[in-house]
Amino acid sequence: MSNSEPNSEPNAEPIIVLKDVDKFFGDFQALKKINLTVKKGERIVVCGPSGSGKSTMIRCINRLEQHNAGQITVAGHVLTDQIKDIDAVRREVGMVFQNFNLFPHLSVIDNLMLAPRLVRNTGKIEAREKAMSLLERVRIPEQADKYPSQLSGGQQQRVAIARALCMNPEIMLFDEPTSALDPEMISEVLEVMTDLAQDGMTMICVTHEMGFARSVADEVVFMDEGEIVERNNPENFFNNPQHQRTKLFLSQILAH
Amino acid sequence: MTPVLESLTLIIESVPQILMGFGLTLQLLFLSGILGLILAILLLLMRISGSAYLSAPAMVYIYVFRGTPILVQIFIIYHGLAQFEAIRESIFWAILREPFGCGVLALTLNTGAYVSEILRGGVLGVERGLLEAGAALGLSKRHRFIHITTPIAVRLAIPAYSNDVISLMKSTALVSTITLLDMMGYARIVYAETYAPYEVFTSLMVIYLLMTWIIQRAFGLFERRMSRHIRQ
Amino acid sequence: MDVLTGWWDDFFWGSVVVVQVFFVALILMVLFGLIGAAAKLSDNKVAQKIASGYTIVFRGTPEILVLLLFYFGSAIALTSIAQIFDPEIKYLDIPPFWAGSFAIALIVGSYATETFRGAFLGVDPGQVEAARALGLSNFKTFIYIQVPAMWRLALPPFGNHMLSLIKDTALISVIGLEETVFIAEQAMGTTGKPFTMFILVGAIYLSFSTIITLSVMRMEKYANKHLEVSR
Ligand SMILES: Nc1ncnc2c1ncn2[C@@H]1O[C@H](COP(=O)(O)OP(=O)(O)OP(=O)(O)O)[C@@H](O)[C@H]1O
Ligand SMILES: [Mg+2]
Repeated sequence: MSNSEPNSEPNAEPIIVLKDVDKFFGDFQALKKINLTVKKGERIVVCGPSGSGKSTMIRCINRLEQHNAGQITVAGHVLTDQIKDIDAVRREVGMVFQNFNLFPHLSVIDNLMLAPRLVRNTGKIEAREKAMSLLERVRIPEQADKYPSQLSGGQQQRVAIARALCMNPEIMLFDEPTSALDPEMISEVLEVMTDLAQDGMTMICVTHEMGFARSVADEVVFMDEGEIVERNNPENFFNNPQHQRTKLFLSQILAH
Repeated sequence: MTPVLESLTLIIESVPQILMGFGLTLQLLFLSGILGLILAILLLLMRISGSAYLSAPAMVYIYVFRGTPILVQIFIIYHGLAQFEAIRESIFWAILREPFGCGVLALTLNTGAYVSEILRGGVLGVERGLLEAGAALGLSKRHRFIHITTPIAVRLAIPAYSNDVISLMKSTALVSTITLLDMMGYARIVYAETYAPYEVFTSLMVIYLLMTWIIQRAFGLFERRMSRHIRQ
Repeated sequence: MDVLTGWWDDFFWGSVVVVQVFFVALILMVLFGLIGAAAKLSDNKVAQKIASGYTIVFRGTPEILVLLLFYFGSAIALTSIAQIFDPEIKYLDIPPFWAGSFAIALIVGSYATETFRGAFLGVDPGQVEAARALGLSNFKTFIYIQVPAMWRLALPPFGNHMLSLIKDTALISVIGLEETVFIAEQAMGTTGKPFTMFILVGAIYLSFSTIITLSVMRMEKYANKHLEVSR
């Protein structure tokens, strides 16, 4: 809120809606009655202690996990068991993982071209052009023909972001994209993400990078024990947290 | 000096005779190796199909063929099948009447069971995160299997597969028990003529060890080439 | 099952032979494996070379070849030694039972060598250091810390070695051991029912394999008790 203007108009349409979502792993309830609405162009940062259900929540949004109760609507598709084409939803939602998950047997450019070629039937030349332009956007066009294992962590994560963008998603999900990185590489990834935010991408980002949250997020969501405890704009979230649990979490995370 | 010379003469004389079976050993190895690999892939697809009607028979098959001696499998096929009139009158009899056909069939059925487990190990070794990344990109199940699981699983399975090819090569020697003249078969003939077990069998041992070494080298090179970019 | 009448007891005794060979070979196999592993882990270059020669040779040659070499080779050796004492003797051999058990134990022992060596190297050195720091003697550390940890690592491949042993027992019929395959070969001659006979042999071996597999699973469960998740 502080440095950048919110992308979304006050009454932009909601693009992600979670309504009373529950998720169980066996007997263990990982998500408890989650309600979350994200408008087109909105940038949400999700934080909370380990095991609070952050990953589980965003993985439900592209159905890497299946929720057990409640309703999830993504870009107009309701995610149910009957959903015919979950892949169609996933095409609209890009995801970036903590440990990159680049395909080790494919070169960087092939990592980027794989999904457009297979899923969108894009021609080879066109896919390559698109991939190269995205590599330029994440500032590593010179690495196109290398293999993931030949890149640094920060470079790999930028490739992973470019790979997700190749599918022209409307929404990007980030699950702790910088927490597997050496400190000196964090900023290069955050810069790319900030660029993306400024271009108006709808983003949900699980991260503990509070600087990023302050400068980029429209809203910060705090989760604990499977619940959304608090949701607020960064200004209020950091300066004037409402809940005891939030205060405790912030004091711990800002201590170092 | 004389005994040594005698031994040397024996070796020099027996090796060419043993090598008369080399072609048959190679034929058995390649034919059942390739057919066994095809069978293994079918069994693997059955096991990971998610349908109990497909995976249960595959599991039983694998269990039975891995749980019984290959010699018994060879004898069931070579001696046993002739017991049935229906088989003797079927079109398969042309193959099953011949010891070579029986040998190839037994070795194929046996190696197929082992190799399918090796391939399954490779498939299970593919990191879940990579498949999730594929899913998140909107790749269908089939595309994920073909473009992510398969290439990575193949690389993971090569070392174990190479060991199984060596096992198969060793198993080919058992066809000498059903009258086939592979290298082992010829060696047994030469032994019966000379009563010189050390010379005859040790020479054959050296030949097999060379073959083992070549197989290991070949797969080692192949694996190194294929896995250049995969961190262990 | 009428064809089997009169043959049941032969197959029973054949199975007993299988079990006997299995246990004899098991003991020898563990022995060869431990010696091989000790040699490979020792500082002695010669011992290392011999041990790796052993594993290369026995993992790279067909089992039946080892068996024949061993059986006929030992017979020649034995005969010539005996002839020194009594020139009348024409032929002496080691009974197939012992020659066979020894040969398959040598073969599987070469695989066990690698298993034991890997298990020894796989024990977390931190555990050993911790035990030493607590004041346990070298010997006690070995018995109470290293051996149980090695056992956990070695158990799954060791189960496979036992399966190899039981299946290799069938090969010894080739040199005349009267185990079940041998019986079936005789029975098929007189009854004309080879399929029935060899299927029975397969079933016998499959039950032995099953018993071994189940026992190993139990042992693994026991060995890994402390790793079970508590709730
Ligand atoms: N596949 C699974 N099976 C069983 N339990 C799981 C599974 N995935 C997650 N959980 C449990 O669900 C809870 C929430 O996990 P989740 O990964 O969403 O937490 P998180 O907030 O992302 O934590 P972290 O910051 O450590 O990534 C945890 O207690 C975890 O143990
Ligand atoms: Mg997480």
